Amino acid sequence: MLKKKRAEAATAQPLSRDEISLLTVSSAPHIKHPDNTRILMADVLIALTPAYIWGIYVFGWRALTLGIISIVSCVLFEALVQWILKRPITVGDLSAAVTGFLLVMNLPVTVPLWIPVVGAAFAIIIVKQLYGGIGKNIVNPALAARVFLFISFPSYMGDYSAVMDKPSPFEITLDTVAAATPEASATPADAVAAATPLHAFKNGVMPDEGLFTLLIGDHAGSIGELSALLLVAGGIYLLVRRVISWRIPVSFVGTVFILTMLFPKLPLVSDQVALQYALRQILSGGLMLGAIYMATDYTTSPVTQKGRIIYGICCGALTVFFRYFSGYPEGVSFAILIMNFLVWYIDKFARPKHFGWTKPVPPEKSGKLAEGGEAAK
Amino acid sequence: MARTFIGGVHVEEYKNTRRAQIRRMDPAPRKVCIPLSQHIGVPSVPVVKPGDIVDRGQVIGEAAEGLSVPVHASVSGKVTAVYERIGSTGNKVTCVEIENDFEDRDAATIKPFEKRLPDTTPEEIIEVVKNAGIVGMGGATFPTYAKIQSAIGKATSLIINGAECEPFITADHRTMLESPASVVNGTKILLKALSLRRAYIAVEDNKLDAVEKLNELLKDSELIKVQVCKTKYPQGDERQLIFALTGRELPPGKLPADVGCVIFNAETTAAVFRAFAKGAPLIERVITVDGDCVREPGNVLVPIGASAMDVIEACGGLVKQPYKLIFGGPMMGVAQWDPEAPVTKGTNAILVLSREFEGVGKYGQPPVCIHCGKCAEVCPVYLLPNYIAEFDIAGRLEDAERFGAEACVECGACSYICPGYFPVTQHVKNAKSKIIAAKKKAGARISR
Repeated sequence: MLKKKRAEAATAQPLSRDEISLLTVSSAPHIKHPDNTRILMADVLIALTPAYIWGIYVFGWRALTLGIISIVSCVLFEALVQWILKRPITVGDLSAAVTGFLLVMNLPVTVPLWIPVVGAAFAIIIVKQLYGGIGKNIVNPALAARVFLFISFPSYMGDYSAVMDKPSPFEITLDTVAAATPEASATPADAVAAATPLHAFKNGVMPDEGLFTLLIGDHAGSIGELSALLLVAGGIYLLVRRVISWRIPVSFVGTVFILTMLFPKLPLVSDQVALQYALRQILSGGLMLGAIYMATDYTTSPVTQKGRIIYGICCGALTVFFRYFSGYPEGVSFAILIMNFLVWYIDKFARPKHFGWTKPVPPEKSGKLAEGGEAAK
Repeated sequence: MARTFIGGVHVEEYKNTRRAQIRRMDPAPRKVCIPLSQHIGVPSVPVVKPGDIVDRGQVIGEAAEGLSVPVHASVSGKVTAVYERIGSTGNKVTCVEIENDFEDRDAATIKPFEKRLPDTTPEEIIEVVKNAGIVGMGGATFPTYAKIQSAIGKATSLIINGAECEPFITADHRTMLESPASVVNGTKILLKALSLRRAYIAVEDNKLDAVEKLNELLKDSELIKVQVCKTKYPQGDERQLIFALTGRELPPGKLPADVGCVIFNAETTAAVFRAFAKGAPLIERVITVDGDCVREPGNVLVPIGASAMDVIEACGGLVKQPYKLIFGGPMMGVAQWDPEAPVTKGTNAILVLSREFEGVGKYGQPPVCIHCGKCAEVCPVYLLPNYIAEFDIAGRLEDAERFGAEACVECGACSYICPGYFPVTQHVKNAKSKIIAAKKKAGARISR
């Protein structure tokens, strides 16, 4: 292209010295890699799309309605807050759209249509913008919003009963949920009506779903967490595009796999059953979604290579801990949120020694100083 | 397997001039403005005054006490002024302005070195190199004689740096391709000066034609080997090159001789050879002129002190409104404010980029660090540039020092890769210079 431009330009008269406008002076480097934040975020959106489309296929058009509401409200809230705070409006970097996309992936399809709006407001206004916007937030906005919704509206967020019926895309609050609400007791776990594979794990039994079903994603769950296969495919796309590094997802999923295989929450198991159990553990729930798309969120994950592995292992261990011992069936969100707070310390601890690092020479003890001291006496 | 280092980034190469033969600057400049401080160290002392007639190659600035080299007239003619101006690095330097009389009279002092190489002593070589005013021509401009002196007895291997990892620049490539003999013979002279028996010529694997030429000449040589390195930025940085070839890590603030290496640029080596074969002082050098604003990009042999605009006009002039004029490569080069800025011994390229090419405003979002860690992945000295930049903004110099800001080699890879268009390199450089200044002031470490 440069050559073509040059050929066109070659016919023109060269500029005389007087025609040259003022030159710009700036610090090196003077060229830039073509990737920018918008392209990276667009890649994340592309990677998430197949799993989302599968969600629409399984759950019906209501999943699409929720997605549109979620993304549009995230973008609008971002623009609104930045306009009120008189900051430059940066919705063009697509990070708000990614937050909205991740949020809808984390919702059950039966939630009322205003739920994603509330979630978006919490994610964008409180978690992201009040902390300074992109690059400054401490925790992942989409995850924080999910947990906020989960503990604020447990009956809606834990309801997977109607998932296979393809609920109406436009009814604001679904009847099944409304009917279920009065029965919801104080503990959120009890509010859960239909069983996702995670509830089976919680009760200490092997879920009914086979490995193939889990891989394809033909079972109850949140909109975006169903198909492990499509989520992994998106993850591979992100790896190829060098948007994420393999370290966090691999160490995260690997830790969950190893821990559940070594300590299955089942009575008396053979190795074969333990393997089956561990495979089902990593394929179900929000683990793939969390490990590939949420734990790798730039702002809230370590930048050091060693740190990323430590972070992934800790996330995995906490996930298993919550899945086994907490009052909730799923632990991925809590694990990542907790680790988000430790990112700075992980980076500080795991930072590599710089090139040519040598052990600093300790300041010379005694020697001259001591002599000088004695002389002073 | 091509040798390389850890980290780094593959930069778009833009080596448009790789097939452009070196040509003499035509027309020759009407006048030249020769700065008397084109090297690291003490500026030379002017020995001419306005009105003097000088010959080409005549000394116009004598080496001062300490680390310094002489400066020679690059054209014959009349000295019109000796004055201070702002040089290409932004500091004030004394310059000698000479009006070219186009007679090309060579000074009487220019004559080939008479002894045969086996009979020379290292002292004689150092003397010749110093008198020829040779400095590191890769951009660092460290006086070459002082480098030889510092390395005698310490270095065990000699490295000739022909990596040329900066985009656009092909000056070293063309030198190695068109006069491989001068590079090889220069290497032999340096080996003799250092009393060494082992030298490597390091070339990136995007210049395999030059490797072929060199290998042809070195068929029977036991002493000199060509090493092919992977094309990756900043392969040509001396730290990264030493690591790629020997596996040794050069700590910040140390000289290559401290890890047993001594390293010269390929064109410097050729200049050393010319100083012996022809007695030629360093008065001209090959400069790559490129960028989308230049009509006929190419490699030009330019007399030192010619103004950038003269050189550009010798390449067909500008076809577009320039946005930036850069001395050196696009990754580490210095943007000039003055189109008349004179080229120096360390200028290996003149790039003129338009606003569209430079890409400013194409993205349209405010620069921000999104903490993606790409800078940490590409940093060739394993720093965490994003944190150091944040420390610089917050004024936390102690933390920046603890995170190793001083080890930064200012290669620019972090800013290049940054998807948020955040000026990472600039902040790290800032932190580095502030730390060094604070240390100088305090005379000690500023933190524990």
